[in-house]
Amino acid sequence: MTRELTCIVCPNGCRLKVTDEGGNLTVSGATCKRGEAFGKSEVLNPTRSITSTVATKFKDFPLLPVKTLGEIPKDKIFEAMKVINSVKVTKRLKTGDVIIDDFFGAKLVATTDMARLPKEVRIKEAE
Amino acid sequence: MRKMAERIEKVQKALIRKGFKEVYARQWRQSVILEGEMDDWKQIVKAGKAAAKFGYKGVVNEIKLKGYTAPPLRVPDVQDGALEGKRPDVMIIGGGVIGCSIARELTKYNLTILLADKESDVAMHASSRNDGMIHPGIASHAGTLRGEMNVKGNAMYTQLCKELDIPFKRYGNLILYSDHVFGVAAEPVLAERARKLGIEGGKISREYLHQIEPNITDKALGAFIYPSSGVLSPYKLTVALAENAVENGAEVSLNTVVTGMEIDDNEICKVFTNRGTVYPRLVINAAGTFADKVAEMAGDKFFSIHPRKGELVILDKKKGHLVTRSMGLVGLDQAFADTKGGGVMRTIDGNVLVGPDAYEIPEREDFSTHRDHIDAICKKHLPLIKGFTQGDVITYFAGVRAPTYEEEFIIERSDYVPNLVHAAGIQSPGLASAPAIAERIAEITVNALKPYVDIHKNPKFNPYRRRVPHMAALSFEEKQKVIKENPDYGVIICRCEEISKGEIIDAIHSPIPATSIDALKRRVRPGMGRCQGGFCSPLVTKIICDETGMTPDMVTKSGGNSQLVLEKTHKGGDAK
Amino acid sequence: MMHYDVCVLGGGPAGLAAAISAADNGAKTLIIEREAKLGGILKQCIHDGFGIVRFGERLTGPEYAGRFIKEMVKRDIDYITNAFATDAKRLPDGTFSFEVQSAQGVLNITCNAVVLACGCRERTSRQVFIHGDRPAGIFNAGTAQYFVNILGYMPTKRCVILGSGDIGMIMARRLTLEGAEVEGVYEIKDTPAGLARNVAQCLDDYNIPLHLSTTVTRVIGEKRVEAVEVAKVDEHMNPIEGTERIIPCDALILSVGLIPENEIAEKLGVELDPATKGAYVDQKLMTSVPGVFSCGNALHVNDLVDYVSQSGDIAGKFAAKYKPEKRYRVKIDYPKNEFSYVVPQYYDLMEQGELTLYFRVRKDCTNKTVFIDNDEKVIKKKKYQRMLPSEMETLTVKPENGRFGEISLRME
Repeated sequence: MTRELTCIVCPNGCRLKVTDEGGNLTVSGATCKRGEAFGKSEVLNPTRSITSTVATKFKDFPLLPVKTLGEIPKDKIFEAMKVINSVKVTKRLKTGDVIIDDFFGAKLVATTDMARLPKEVRIKEAE
Repeated sequence: MRKMAERIEKVQKALIRKGFKEVYARQWRQSVILEGEMDDWKQIVKAGKAAAKFGYKGVVNEIKLKGYTAPPLRVPDVQDGALEGKRPDVMIIGGGVIGCSIARELTKYNLTILLADKESDVAMHASSRNDGMIHPGIASHAGTLRGEMNVKGNAMYTQLCKELDIPFKRYGNLILYSDHVFGVAAEPVLAERARKLGIEGGKISREYLHQIEPNITDKALGAFIYPSSGVLSPYKLTVALAENAVENGAEVSLNTVVTGMEIDDNEICKVFTNRGTVYPRLVINAAGTFADKVAEMAGDKFFSIHPRKGELVILDKKKGHLVTRSMGLVGLDQAFADTKGGGVMRTIDGNVLVGPDAYEIPEREDFSTHRDHIDAICKKHLPLIKGFTQGDVITYFAGVRAPTYEEEFIIERSDYVPNLVHAAGIQSPGLASAPAIAERIAEITVNALKPYVDIHKNPKFNPYRRRVPHMAALSFEEKQKVIKENPDYGVIICRCEEISKGEIIDAIHSPIPATSIDALKRRVRPGMGRCQGGFCSPLVTKIICDETGMTPDMVTKSGGNSQLVLEKTHKGGDAK
Repeated sequence: MMHYDVCVLGGGPAGLAAAISAADNGAKTLIIEREAKLGGILKQCIHDGFGIVRFGERLTGPEYAGRFIKEMVKRDIDYITNAFATDAKRLPDGTFSFEVQSAQGVLNITCNAVVLACGCRERTSRQVFIHGDRPAGIFNAGTAQYFVNILGYMPTKRCVILGSGDIGMIMARRLTLEGAEVEGVYEIKDTPAGLARNVAQCLDDYNIPLHLSTTVTRVIGEKRVEAVEVAKVDEHMNPIEGTERIIPCDALILSVGLIPENEIAEKLGVELDPATKGAYVDQKLMTSVPGVFSCGNALHVNDLVDYVSQSGDIAGKFAAKYKPEKRYRVKIDYPKNEFSYVVPQYYDLMEQGELTLYFRVRKDCTNKTVFIDNDEKVIKKKKYQRMLPSEMETLTVKPENGRFGEISLRME
């Protein structure tokens, strides 16, 4: 059995052919190791990382962008969205701070800093 | 009586001669009514035109279009009693440039004025859907109301725009020709017309033409120039007129549709609306394409409006410098047509406007655009100027004119309903004529009300509208000063038109509050530029919310159920 | 009056990279940003896939921008946000003056060199000549993205997407994840406009159909979009009569291309390339006006942010080094029927150094070799299995034997 896939690992988008011969998977068309791995996992156990936003309690920063650090099973995406939509962040987080530690086998993390830059307007000198 | 029968016989014969065999003509009061059924709207309009030249006061065209049902009037969804029991001296129906001009003009007297418009803002129909040209008047024949009002109105604009604080420029107008026969044949006609109407201007040489408009292509062999021709923003004008009217005591009731009238002894005694029953002393019909419908409510339908649609194209400001005057190439075939076939012009905001075209449709509120029309307009006019391409198009839109079959303005007190005044059939050059029409209507109104009201001038009338800063037009020092007083004027929200947050907030809190995206666009132009609101519409939405307490899902594009966003994303357990 | 060595217009990925690069090359640098926060469009691009070329990682937009902002702060680079350059002038002495409007007032800022990093804007429904009614509910994909990701409001419950550009496909997935139904993505061309992996991970993953050679011909709806009419198109992209279909929906979302923003460039008299709609530049990314540099999507529309930053690096470096010197620019030649554009368009022979070429092919092609010739000698060749118009390619060459001369690009 052969399946044709588009690799989503990088923007090159290689066309992959994954052949299953009695449980023995071979991937052709990949131009890197990661593509080969993607081809195999896509057939055996497809996973995806997802990105979205979560609510925060802060008026000046009502929505915080988040992502899964690591991938979650593809068929759990909508379940994962339900969990994401129930979150309310109550602390000011930084990029990479963990929001949910065990999130369908991955972690849910913040992808931006909620703290402001040192100054919104910063001009050192006005001669 | 015999004479009457003879005249109607003539109409009937003319109709038959022109092939309108199934049209039946009859006389009603001083009008001719056409009845029957046909399967082509163009033919129905032609039949109306054919009946128009027999000395009747009006043609009422009741010929039905086979298989066609007119779409229902677009009505606001508001239902309340906000106007219940009001007894204004004057009720104006229609918040276009005519209705708003009249409202402002009447605030010069001690009269109570109520202006009603069914839309969520003023200037929603033809008054925001035209080219903004203040015509010199040369397109009209001497002896017509259209010509008289146009020339008079044109002259009033310099002062009016100063009072209302809106930009106005007399760039001038060029009638171009590519046919020497036209140049020779039209010269005496136009010269005579100009003399009779009192319009400055005349023929210029090809060399001079290319000197003053160096980007005109060689197609133009010569031109007639009329320097009094001007441009302004027709919706800014209408809004300014309405705001000034409100500042001087008039009431403007939007989202208000007139649903009927009660007539007693030939007089209008009640006007029914979705917001309650009004008891006006006098009603002014300034209802645009619906003016015949309003007349009908009062039992005075002596004319018909036949909607004449036009589509227009706007080019990027970057091309604005290529033309100065408004201009159109007129062929022999168009010289005596109802409209002159459009052209190109620089708008007051520095864009280029191309068009409009003109075609007859049965719908009165169809503002859709069509690929074939827009393409044809571009194909016809863009080659006139070196440097214009279809890639310069940033937007296009359509408007519907409101002509009668007589192709003449109706500015008069009703012959049959003494407390009804008509400002109807106001098509081009309606914008240019508006101040003159308002003056005339005010005079008629004052005379009509004199027996019932002790009328005198309103001593508190202030012709000057409240001024708000327009940042892009200010000098460095002026900007500095304005921003220091209010930092919001420093924050640019619309990058294409360079409109600040402060200007948007001003418009939100103006005498006629602008709380929709389009209402703000008409007043201060965010979203009018090349990105068409792509960047600023969410920011403007946010400002509206901050200023009014609305949530984003309440903010509309243009009132009613035209929400931009539908609901909150389901975050933080906010799921509905 | 404030004076800087380099002023960077735009605080997105191109501008941030340019400012960092300028500062690293010793320039006193200022970033002028028109929005409230730095980061440009990346602030709303919360999806991942950024930075694979530059960082070898799959970052989200905010993460990618965050890395540059951190570097910028580390270098103590000046910046001003919510600030808009209303006027720009080249002064007689060759320096530049800007009038910058912000809540603090109007600032007069002068500088020796300018980097234009203003990004791009989306083509609108009007620019692709959508007709019919004009109700609420017609959005550019980027506008819809702002509403969803920044304001947290849904612009649609059931929509049609026109155009298979990357933002369009990413929004198809995004809206689906947030609970909306995407009826389909319609593309007038016969190939997708965006990356193949986005077709796979944004559309196929969610069973969103992609209809090629099909376009939206009409919008129907009085106040809010009620339906759109779609039709198949022929090889000249004209709708085929009889193939029209009415699709009930509440929104039409457009992803029909991006246009570089060059309003300030035009004010400064910079010549623009009709092929890219960005400035004509040399290998230093200097425009036709000496001292004015251009980078990122303002220069030409890139498909990866990594290349946007890369061009920022180049522009920032040379802006920092800029001195009014004689230039000797030669045009880089390429066959117009095979390449839709090549950037830079010029090479300045006075400044011998590395040359990075960005190009797009005009048509889908397989098994081709691209050659860069210098004085008719091949100095670089690269074999491509497949090249698509939607995918930008880049090649870097160092001068052979020390000197570049007549440079040209070709393929076989």
